[in-house]
Amino acid sequence: METFRLRLHRFDPKHDSAPRYEEYEIESDGPLSVMQAICRVYDTVDGTLSLRNTDCRRGVCGICSMMIDGRRRLACTCVAQDGMTIGPPPNRKVIKDLVFEMD
Amino acid sequence: MIDATIDADVLVVGGGGGGLRAAIEAHAAGARVLVLSKGIVGKSGLTQTAVTGFQVAFGCADPRDNPSVHYADTMRGSYGLANPELVDIFTREGAATVEDIESFGARFDRDDDGNFIQRRLDSSQTYPRSIKKGDSLGTPIMQALRRQMNKCDIPRRHEILVTKLLKDGNRISGAVALDFQTGELLEIRARSVIMATGGGGELFPVNSNTPDSTGDGCALALGAGADLVDMEFILMLGHAVMFPETVRGVLFTFQYLLDKGARALFNAEGEPFLSRYDPEGSDNPPRHIYARAIHGEVRAGRGSPHGGVFFDPGSVPLETVVDALPSQTQFLQSFGVDMRQPIEVGVAAHYFCGGIRIGPDSLSTVPGLYGVGECSGGPHGAARVGGNSLTEVLVFGKRAGRHAAETAATANAPTNDPDEVETECRRLLGFLEGSRNGPRPSEIKKRIKQTMNDHVGVVRDAAGLKEALDAFEEIAMRNLPAMALASPERIANYDWIQAIEATSMTRVGEAVARAALMRTESRGAHYREDHPDQIDDEWLQNIVVRQRGKELSVSSVPVNSATYGEETG
Repeated sequence: METFRLRLHRFDPKHDSAPRYEEYEIESDGPLSVMQAICRVYDTVDGTLSLRNTDCRRGVCGICSMMIDGRRRLACTCVAQDGMTIGPPPNRKVIKDLVFEMD
Repeated sequence: MIDATIDADVLVVGGGGGGLRAAIEAHAAGARVLVLSKGIVGKSGLTQTAVTGFQVAFGCADPRDNPSVHYADTMRGSYGLANPELVDIFTREGAATVEDIESFGARFDRDDDGNFIQRRLDSSQTYPRSIKKGDSLGTPIMQALRRQMNKCDIPRRHEILVTKLLKDGNRISGAVALDFQTGELLEIRARSVIMATGGGGELFPVNSNTPDSTGDGCALALGAGADLVDMEFILMLGHAVMFPETVRGVLFTFQYLLDKGARALFNAEGEPFLSRYDPEGSDNPPRHIYARAIHGEVRAGRGSPHGGVFFDPGSVPLETVVDALPSQTQFLQSFGVDMRQPIEVGVAAHYFCGGIRIGPDSLSTVPGLYGVGECSGGPHGAARVGGNSLTEVLVFGKRAGRHAAETAATANAPTNDPDEVETECRRLLGFLEGSRNGPRPSEIKKRIKQTMNDHVGVVRDAAGLKEALDAFEEIAMRNLPAMALASPERIANYDWIQAIEATSMTRVGEAVARAALMRTESRGAHYREDHPDQIDDEWLQNIVVRQRGKELSVSSVPVNSATYGEETG
């Protein structure tokens, strides 16, 4: 079992005055994509996390494009690394957490 | 309780290939169109993931090919259960649909003389017939459809989940929907509704679909009184990657490498096995045989560590692999798959052959309600032939769009039943109430998937199917009413979406299991271990599933015997 720590963007415009990054720990017996890692946080650690789960899962549609360790990347084709920071692209209106306005 | 009401002539539910094609045509025919998708319109759905199959009988690779041969191949491949009228339509109109897509800005691969490059997918095609664009057809097709949709400025809204279809008497009148981003409840008044919501691959733990493929369209159509047909036939493919987890379920179309000298699939003992399972004795049999053969090897203890068998891309030069399958190879390599070593490949749920029972204009048995693409049933019968899905979704998308627009032009302004709207709003808001203490929606989904995998998958029998029906009844009676969401918030609450999806999945799973239990034979994608033979005397029949009140009923009917869009009482 491998342990991943991920820092995920949290922001609820109804209750929060400013966004924050929260750290989560998940386990996996092999490599995960960032998208799979985010889903695992939602499934096993914190179900209040808002996410989009309607992307193509194979690098085609671009729905899961976000900032991963400061670079704009597709969460479905990017391999998750321990300690990664994941959030919305800059200057994007955030609806909640990892759900933000699209291009 | 409704936060906003929207009017449209034609409501299109689904933002993939079928939905966009229908919307473009309905718009061209003068209708006020609204496209809703639970994902992002034009970027969600499975069309964009299509890789290598698009059958149109241009006869470029072999001049003997024509729509009649394509028709015969498709009818044979459907094991006699496809609706002949529908097959005739999509095999003949395929060429025009390619022309349409190219007029929207795509261009498929041609040789130096300007003829389409056409390839053979498997032995079900008499002649090489599949046109191509590199090794990913879906991307250029969706780009072209998006471009045309934008050019026509067709109204659309993203991340709207339709949760109920509404009727005015016998006729469809609109829908209730949930806006994921705002949590608002919407009422739509529409003269025609086109369902293009895709299939239900997500009912299975390993599938080649996307997580939002939850069979919503079939569940909604059942609720509106429409017939579903051929629900027992779910195509399970044997060329999904099984390991690593990151790419589990991703398709690797190694069949293209077999022509180029690659070694056939082999089991843990290093033996080839496919010919043992194929009545024709081929090492590259039709695709549903792959699934049964792999399932058989795994069950006999000759499988790979992660429940599959082996394909060795190292048996041909790397350039051959990259040349035949460039984007698939790149995708797998990005997750560390070594293309010089044997890869574990296995079974994944791929395609619901059945769905909303449609006629030539894509009309269901309910006036004003249409089905397009994977959520529809009739064009494929007992097994969809490889490469027919794009042809069918684009041909019937166009037909549905045109017919829906024409019908809408003459239909009276619809009136939704306010009681029905209110009941649906109460149901949706009920999910957010804090008094529930049962499992989360994702746990219920897990139970549904396990049930489908164990009892309604590649190999079925009466005892297992009855067990599945018991499980679905318990889920419906006990689990769903107690389902507890992680958050009661309305804004961007993914648990809320999943709660609604889990409800649909339970209904669809039950529909599949009921049809599979009724069909006491084996045919196409449906295999009954307790009834292993195909019995043409008895079973050249379609099975229809209907909902009356809360109950589902199944009946068998002669092929192509329905009346579409008429009063059915």
